[in-house]
Amino acid sequence: MIEVTGLTRRFRRALAVDGLSFTVRPGRITGFLGPNGAGKTTTMRLLLGLDEPTAGRATVNGLPYRKLSRPLTQVGALLDATAVQGGRRAEQHLWWLARSNGISRARVGALLELVGLGHAAGRRVGGFSLGMKQRLGLAAALLGDPGVLVLDEPANGLDPEGVRWMRDLLKSLAAEGRTVLVSSHLISEMAVTADHLVVVARGRLRADAALAELVRPGTSLEEAFLGLVAGSAP
Amino acid sequence: MSAVAAEWIKLRSLRSTWWALGAGVSLALALTVLGASTVIARWDPDRTADQAAMGIVVAVYVGVVLAQLPLGMLGTMAVSGEHASGMIDTTFVAVPSRARVLLAKAAVLSGVAAGASLLIAVPGYLFGRLVAARFHPSALPAAAWTVIAGGTLMIVVTTLVGLALGAVLRNGAAAVAALAAIVLVLPFVARTLPWGEPVNRFLPTYPALQLIEQAPDIMPVWAAFTVLGAWGVVPLLAAVAVVSAQPPRLE
Repeated sequence: MIEVTGLTRRFRRALAVDGLSFTVRPGRITGFLGPNGAGKTTTMRLLLGLDEPTAGRATVNGLPYRKLSRPLTQVGALLDATAVQGGRRAEQHLWWLARSNGISRARVGALLELVGLGHAAGRRVGGFSLGMKQRLGLAAALLGDPGVLVLDEPANGLDPEGVRWMRDLLKSLAAEGRTVLVSSHLISEMAVTADHLVVVARGRLRADAALAELVRPGTSLEEAFLGLVAGSAP
Repeated sequence: MSAVAAEWIKLRSLRSTWWALGAGVSLALALTVLGASTVIARWDPDRTADQAAMGIVVAVYVGVVLAQLPLGMLGTMAVSGEHASGMIDTTFVAVPSRARVLLAKAAVLSGVAAGASLLIAVPGYLFGRLVAARFHPSALPAAAWTVIAGGTLMIVVTTLVGLALGAVLRNGAAAVAALAAIVLVLPFVARTLPWGEPVNRFLPTYPALQLIEQAPDIMPVWAAFTVLGAWGVVPLLAAVAVVSAQPPRLE
C-alpha cells in the first residue's frame, strides 16, 4: 500500500508536484499517467526517499521510505534502467544489491532467468541494450520479493514481445496481491495493462479512478486522457 | 555490516579498481626497488644492524608516498563514479541512510589502502634486506614502527580525503584536482613561503613525511599523528553531514 498525502515539491520557482494525494492499493496494477514534465518521476523519487518533499508526505506500508528496514524486501523500484555502472557484470550488480539487504545470493540466478537474462548473467552491463537494462532493472526490483513495486516507464526500450512479457509479468505480480504502481506516458499500453489510473498534469491530480470509469463505451482512453490534461501545457 | 559487504562487492567488481591498485602498487614497488638499491649502495660500512633495518624501512615507505594518488583517485571514483552513472540512486534506494553508505565505503577503502601499503611494504622490505645483507640488519627496531604506522596512516588518509571530496563535489575530475591541491600543491607552495611552516603543520602531507622520516621534524610525533589522523576523520564526517542534508537535485 502506497499513500501520498498533500505531496508538494518545489524546485526554485516551479512546482513539480503540487498537493498530490492518492492511494495505491494492493492486488491491482495502478497506472501513473501524465504528460512529460507532469511530475511522475519526481513523485516516485519522493516516494523512494531520494528527494525531500517541500510539504506533505508519502508512505509505503505506513512508513516513510527512509524508515523502512531492509527496504528492498518491502519495495522494489525501477527508476532509470540506464543508471548502472557499465563495468560490472549483470550478476555482480544483483549480488551487491542482495548483500546490502540481507537477501540470499541464490535468488540472483533465478531472477536473471525470470527476466530472460540467464544467458547474460556473466556479461558486462555496459554492452546491454536498453531493453536488456530494463530487464536487469526489473530483476533488481524483484530481488527482495517485495510486496510493493514502483516502476518508472518499465516498458521503455522493450520490443513488442518484451512489452507483452512485461505486461503479463506485472499482471501476475498484481494477481499475487502485490501493490503495483507503473508510470507511463504511453496511453495505449496503459489501456491494456492498468486496472486503475492516477492521472497527473503539472504536478496536480487530474483523475484517480478505475480504467472502466474513465473509458466510457465509444470513447478511447486517449480521448479521456487528453480531455483530463487539457489546458495543462506549460 | 551488510552495507560494508555490499560496498566491497561493488568495489571489487569494477575493473577500474584493479587498474588503480595495480598502477599504484607496481609504481610504488618500482620506486622502492630503485631507491633502496641506490641508497643502500651509499651506506657507511660501519652502519649497525638496527640502523640498517631502519634505513630499509624508511626506503620502503618512499614508495608508499607515490601510491597515494592512485589510491586517492580510487577513493573519489568509489562515489563520483556512482554519481556519473546515476547508480547512486539505486544505492540510496537499497541503503537509505546516506551516512551508512559513506561510512561503509570508508571502511572498505581503508582496508584496501592499508592492504595496498602492505603489498608495497612487505616485498620492498624483503628486497631491501636482500640488498643490505652485508649489514646483517635486525628485524624491526622500535623506531621503524613509527614509520610503518605513519606510512600506512598516510595512504589511508589520502584515500579517505579522496572519498570525502568525491562525495561532496560528486564530480571525479574536480575531486581529484582538489585532492592533488591538498596533498601536493598546497604543501609545496607552503614550503616556499616564509610563513609556510605553521601552515604545513596543519596540512596532511608534512606530518606524514615527518613520520616516515622524509622531512625534518617540526612537531612532536604525537602531534604529527594527531594532525594526520584528523585529516582521515574530519573531512569524512563533514562529507557525511553534507550528504545527509542532501541538497535537492535541481532538474
